Amino acid sequence: MNILFAQMRRDLALIWAGRGEAAVMLAFFLIIITLFPLAIGPDVATLRPMALPVIWIAALLASLAGFSRIFAEDVRSGWVDQVALSPLPLGIYALSKAVTHWLAGGLPMLLATPVLALMLYVDLESLAPLILALAIGTMALTLLGVLAAALGEGARNGGSLMALLVLPLAVPVLIFGTLASTPDDGGLLSPHMLLLMAVLAVLLAIVPVAAAAALVEAETDSS
Amino acid sequence: MRGMRVLQRGLSHQMGAGEITRLHGPNGAGKTTLLRAIAGRLRPAAGVIACDVPIIYVGHADALAAARSGRDNLADWARLNGFDAQRDRITAVLSDMSATSFADLPARVLSRGQRRRLSLARLLLGPKTALWLLDEPSTGLDSAAASQLDAMIGRHLDGGGMVMAATHLPLAAVHNGGTLTLQAPA
Repeated sequence: MNILFAQMRRDLALIWAGRGEAAVMLAFFLIIITLFPLAIGPDVATLRPMALPVIWIAALLASLAGFSRIFAEDVRSGWVDQVALSPLPLGIYALSKAVTHWLAGGLPMLLATPVLALMLYVDLESLAPLILALAIGTMALTLLGVLAAALGEGARNGGSLMALLVLPLAVPVLIFGTLASTPDDGGLLSPHMLLLMAVLAVLLAIVPVAAAAALVEAETDSS
Repeated sequence: MRGMRVLQRGLSHQMGAGEITRLHGPNGAGKTTLLRAIAGRLRPAAGVIACDVPIIYVGHADALAAARSGRDNLADWARLNGFDAQRDRITAVLSDMSATSFADLPARVLSRGQRRRLSLARLLLGPKTALWLLDEPSTGLDSAAASQLDAMIGRHLDGGGMVMAATHLPLAAVHNGGTLTLQAPA
């Protein structure tokens, strides 16, 4: 457990050192959402029904925008070799990357969402389900991103191909996420919200194993 | 095996406490590949590799995060392995490697030799009985640091440790051990 916290501490320090990159994710999210009212016009009747899908698509794109570099530096520098020899399992290492990546990318997006939602005329009542669904959804998307990044390292030059393979897996998150953001009865724990949580639970179980298998194959350049 | 190509067949070697094995062989013979296989990062195409002591691997890549200082990098590594990461311990190891003067600079601004010293400093943080796997350990080191490394390896062997090094230098020449020569692949 201490080892996991040590790894997370290192990852957070590295993210803080390269905080410009995390800020780009947030800026990407903000800009996508701001572009919609500019393109469509400030009409309430057209903007309101589009608000939630727009926020979700922006969250999906922004979550997946910053992931390709998650392991690159550690693989290149040989840190992954050192993790492989250490008592810390590679799967837990991947999970640590997911948690820190979410803290740096997902959490700021969540904090910005209320303001953006008001800009798009989202009702105050549906703000709570939206935030909860986005929190779960961005966690699931981050796990998918970590999986894609690990597969990309394992396959060396296949990074972009792997991203294409993983993107369709984000579709269930998008579907359940948008539905959970607009519950029929107004309750927070709608069936769709529960299904979204189930998607997250499945990913939590699968991603460490799959990412570890991919990272075993990841190699430093022996230059 | 490397890139679907078998590099060495019928390789057999055994080592005990206090012994050093120097790996020789022309470029491309598989010295790095053998070290990585022993470190568990590559699977041999056939056969068994067994080791009953902790392994510390210092390869070509120095495993230093460019944005972290040398001191933080060492502490990160020690914590990762559950070794003593107290500030005093790290400071002592840094001064053993004559790395104190640049220990608090981010690794990105260091020279190759300085980075190599930091990655070799890891060896001193681990247990005395560990097997050190060194891949061209003296690359980039000046002559003072290279003789320091030689003395360090000697002390480790005297303390009951083991060393396997791919090197062309006569490291720890006075100690027990052998040479494993790899032939160029056909």
